[in-house]
Amino acid sequence: MERGLYIAASGMLAEQARQDLISHDLANASTPGYKADRTITSSFSAMLLKDASSGQSVGALGLGARIEEQVTDVTPGPLRETGEPLDFAVQGDGFFAVRGANGVRYTRDGQFQVSARGGLVTASGDEVLGAGGQPIRVGPDGTVAGTEIGVTRLDAAKRAGDNLFTGTARGASTAPVRVGALESSAVDAVRTMADMMGSLRAFEAGQRVITTIDSTLGKAASQVGGI
Amino acid sequence: MTAQQQRMDALSNDIANVNTTGYKHERTRFRDLIASPTGLGGAEQVGAGAGAAAESAGRGWGQGVLQTTGQPLDVAIQGDGFLQVKLADGRTGLTRNGSLHIDARGRVMTAEGSFLQPPVTLPEGVSASDVQIASDGTLAAQGRPIGRMVLVSVTSPHKLDDTGAGVYTTNAASGAARAAGAGTTVAQGTLEASNVDLGDAMVELMAAQRGFQMASQAVRSQDEMLSIANGIKQ
Repeated sequence: MERGLYIAASGMLAEQARQDLISHDLANASTPGYKADRTITSSFSAMLLKDASSGQSVGALGLGARIEEQVTDVTPGPLRETGEPLDFAVQGDGFFAVRGANGVRYTRDGQFQVSARGGLVTASGDEVLGAGGQPIRVGPDGTVAGTEIGVTRLDAAKRAGDNLFTGTARGASTAPVRVGALESSAVDAVRTMADMMGSLRAFEAGQRVITTIDSTLGKAASQVGGI
Repeated sequence: MTAQQQRMDALSNDIANVNTTGYKHERTRFRDLIASPTGLGGAEQVGAGAGAAAESAGRGWGQGVLQTTGQPLDVAIQGDGFLQVKLADGRTGLTRNGSLHIDARGRVMTAEGSFLQPPVTLPEGVSASDVQIASDGTLAAQGRPIGRMVLVSVTSPHKLDDTGAGVYTTNAASGAARAAGAGTTVAQGTLEASNVDLGDAMVELMAAQRGFQMASQAVRSQDEMLSIANGIKQ
């Protein structure tokens, strides 16, 4: 019976973690090139229960749940025209490669700028790389052709903050780069809100299980053996 | 929510400046914040981010519409570039507001009272209406050249410091001012209108408001969860 308490509590903790992830998605509903997370909840491995007196097995019992994996959903977001000469969007699969202090990172946020030395950089100052991994120079008219910017296919994309991703590069992508447009956040507001409500109710259900077990325990403690 | 608030502030500023000569709309950039482990509810590699942050991404330097005013000392800059002016504190400022005037001594100054740099002075007996301004910025009166307004540009205009009133100053990140390219010209008798697109700004404002609303729902949901957790102990 006490096992039930901890199982229900683990479910509540998992839902709480899921709410944290959902809140992060909602907060980034306006972040260009943002990709939403999908969570995979799994149960802890089950254990076999045995009747202690007869030795007969009763059946398997799970020990609760936790969020096992977090997968970044790289579905492209809608493109939005901005008309700015240094805004770029990948049409289709692939990431821009940028080189910062921590090495090469990948991003779908194409809101680039020109550095004081005339190179194409991100707003944080990371160099945007061309197809051959070389830095890109902004032309004298303040523009860069979309074909100059390298687009890389990425496996196992993992969020690194600041709109950047890490992952395994898997060669160049053929996806064209659109100039004067930005990729909007790929957060689907309706789905995320529905997830949030579902998670909240699951959390509530966990609480009900705990209070029910608690009242059963209370009865056992106060009424069994009472005269 | 703070990030959306910042975006709304920038948009409000844009909308307020929809009629300001030479005004360039502000750009807000969003970025997601670094993730940290979620704790007991998730496996070690599961991390929840800390939300979003907004920061200024400079201004959109798109050309504003030219408005004909017929005033001889109104100039609009076409293309990438600025007029160079001397600020009251001695620094050199850059502006696209070409609504110029002359003071009592014939010196050409901008609307907020900064003299052109290098200075241009109208000779004795020449009035503003006699001045002809060529597309390269050369001022002439009665067929004789009297000076030239210098057009400059910078490598990275997104990084210019904003001193307010449409005047910018250079810094290390923007690069030093240099002579503008041949594509930059001035048009006499016109002014460059603000490049704020009211339609765009309104749509952005609505999006910011909805973003704010969604974030506030997340706060409410978290609050409800805490209240449910409190309900465990009856």
